[in-house]
This record gives sequence, structure tokens and C-alpha cells, in this order.
Amino acid sequence: MALHKDEAIVLFKRSYGESDKIVRLFTLSSGKVAAIAKGANKSRKRFANTLEPFNRIRVEYFEKYGRGMVRIENADIVETNSGIEKSLKRACTAGFFVEFVDRLTKERERHEDLFNVLAEILEGIRGAEFTYDDILHYQLRMLGILGFMPNFHTCVYCGQAMAADEKIFFSRERGGILCPKCAPSLPHQVCTEGVIEGIVSVQQANGNAAPGFQAVWRCAENGPPYLNNGFERAAQDIMEGFMTFHLDVEFKSYRILKRLIV
Amino acid sequence: MSVFYPAPIERLIENLTKLPGIGRKTATRLSFFLLNAKDSYITELATSLVDIKEKIRLCSICFNITDTDPCEICIDARRSRSTVCVVEESSHMMVIESSYPGYFRYHILHGVINPIEGIGPDEIRIKELQERIEKEDIKEVIIATNPNIEGNTTAHYIGEILKPLDVRITRIASGVPVGGDIVYIDSLTIKSSLDNRKNL
Repeated sequence: MALHKDEAIVLFKRSYGESDKIVRLFTLSSGKVAAIAKGANKSRKRFANTLEPFNRIRVEYFEKYGRGMVRIENADIVETNSGIEKSLKRACTAGFFVEFVDRLTKERERHEDLFNVLAEILEGIRGAEFTYDDILHYQLRMLGILGFMPNFHTCVYCGQAMAADEKIFFSRERGGILCPKCAPSLPHQVCTEGVIEGIVSVQQANGNAAPGFQAVWRCAENGPPYLNNGFERAAQDIMEGFMTFHLDVEFKSYRILKRLIV
Repeated sequence: MSVFYPAPIERLIENLTKLPGIGRKTATRLSFFLLNAKDSYITELATSLVDIKEKIRLCSICFNITDTDPCEICIDARRSRSTVCVVEESSHMMVIESSYPGYFRYHILHGVINPIEGIGPDEIRIKELQERIEKEDIKEVIIATNPNIEGNTTAHYIGEILKPLDVRITRIASGVPVGGDIVYIDSLTIKSSLDNRKNL
């Protein structure tokens, strides 16, 4: 039986039995870990407020059989979830990203980069409500870390580099854009001109200005005006189609978040 | 060696194991207790089981579980008609009622906003609360959801949608428990108790 000390973000909690809690933690050193906190609902001393979703905690846990559910011995708060409850959109955005990590990572798969991005996201949401650009940026960043980044730069069939105005065909099945020559022979969706470029500029923003950051083209005086109105819907269509096809998961919090974005 | 009981006992054991916290061993013990119990007790037990399904429903005003509609609390003339206490579940209402009996009328949400579980405002009775406040002469809404992330999100959301209405919205206090020792209280609770301190 080994005692581990780690830092973690609480992804999920559920009461179990009379006084126990089952949680899923995203730890810095061991990735996703399912854990049980004995007596967590009764003892306010040991786990008071710590095992709440979106909290960043320091945790001590015992691992008994190697790969089963671990037993939490102690937990202290590093960063609370305070601020996320201030609006429905903040709670849904935090829920979406936490679910994203929970559903798309395997247990015991170490993802230090993903941990840091998730911590950055939660810190951002605690401070301010995310714009759609923030959400899209981090969504793409997480997809990139997990190796699912769609290809928005070259034709996914023939590999040809494309000019901005040619980027209007998107293939969810192949996970990227198609050139005008390849598009007729493969299933695809036609996007409004500039949407793909818009997504790319959001992706490349580095998140330095997040939260509340807006892609450069939104602020530009000569930026395409139709993007300001229809970009969210068009980008969502592309991302939803891609994620449904390749990841085959439906995010519960996204169903609610979607209504708040558009 | 597996034991085979007569079919009716086997069926009863199977049904009892569906209850939370009851395994096959306990179910078998309960089945034999019922087998040896008096007929009058068995009839009463069976009737009470059928009754909770047939007679219990939700109050059309506060959504409390009740056998009469409106429920006894909603028609109680001694209670304040201007204050509504919003709680997550009927069991929470019972707890408040046991320490603050006969004061408020209630509104049971039947859940809290929890995006991770796919529960949004439309999945709980928030719209009904809004309609109720627009219709009735309510002056104060006390939000008594749990002080965790889900409860607080729900409280903020309710506060936001009720803001345009002419109603005082209050939240139950959270902080140092009565009889508690500050040395053993966690930092979040201390912070909350200081944020919500009151004049003496």
C-alpha cells in the first residue's frame, strides 16, 4: 500500500453510501484517478469543502491494489472554485472543460500540459466570463495536446497548402479542410468564407489575453463584418461535427453552454 | 452449493435486493422475517407500499411531496404569505421546518444546476418559481440551497432571473457552526463567515 502526494483538480464528485464520496481527480503526476473519500460527507474536518468540482487541491492518497480506486487520506485547497458560481455561463464553461478532460483522458495517463491548461482555464473563469473565442481557443488547445487537432492549413486529402479564400470545404470525417479539387469527390460541409481563417486566428492567439480575449479580426476595423454575426454558429458547427465523429462523446455541459453562446 | 427457495420467496428476495444497501443475504433474512410475520402486518406493509405510489404526488404550488393538493404547508393560513424559502429537496425543507417551524412557505426545486451532470435551469423547477413570484404577493425569497458549487450557482442564477421583479432575495448564511471551534474550521468557511459578518 503506497502513499502518494500530488496536486489535483477535482473533475467530478458523487455521494456514495451514507457518508462517503466518490471523486475523479486529474492529478499532475498520475493523470486521471478515481478515488473514494471515506466519511467525506460526515467529517467536515478532514475534507471540508475540498472535494468540490473545479477545486485545485493538494491530495494524499493510498493506492492499495495498484490500479483500482484509491483512498483519499487528506486534501487541502490550493485554489478554490470561488467565482465560478457567479453565472450560469461560467459554471457551464468550467463544466465543459472539466468534462472534456474527464471524458477524453484515460486513467493513469500523465498529462502535465493538459493539467496546466485546465488550471489556467479555471483560473480565468474564476476571474471573468469567457467569450466564445476563449472557449474555442482552449478547446483547440486541448485537442492539440490530446492529438486530435483538426487540420486547418493543408488539404487533408492531397496535402496541398491553400490560400485563405480557398478554405471553405471542411471534412469532419477526414478531420480538416479540403482543397477545391478534392472537395467534389469527398463528403464535406461548405463554410462561409473566412470562418476557417477565423478559427485559425483564435487558435494562434496563444491565450495571452484570455479571459475576455477576442481574435484580432474581431477588433479590426476592416475585418469581415459577417463574421461578427455568424462566426460562433459556423465555428460551432465545424467543431461539433468534428468532435462527434472523431471522439464519439457527447458533453452534457455543452448542451447547456451551447444555448448561452449563441 | 447454491440454495434454491420456492419461487415466491426467490422473487421477494430478488425484489428486496433492488433496495439501496440491501444485499442478497439481508434480503433473504428479511424475506424469512416477512414469511413468519402476522398477516395483518403483511397486509399493512403491502398497502403502504401501494399507497406511496398511488397517493403521493407533487403539490401544484410548491412541488413538495404530498397526498393532498395543495399541500398542508401551502394552505396553512398562519404562515407568512410574503416569504418563500427555496430548497433543493423535500428532505431539506423538513430539516428547516424542524428548526424554524410554521414560518415560511416553500418552493422545492427538485435538484440544483449541475452542468457536469447535464442539469440546467430547465431541468429543475426554476421557471415555476418565477411564475409563482409574478403571480403571488411575495416580498422575500430565501434561497436555502447547499453552500457548494452547484447550490451557489443555482442561488446566483435564481438571484439573476428574479432581479427584475420587485422582491427581496436573500441567501442563507454560511460560516462558523454554532458550538464550533475556530481552530478547527477550514479557511473557506472562515472567509465566508467574515464576508458575511453582521453588526452586534
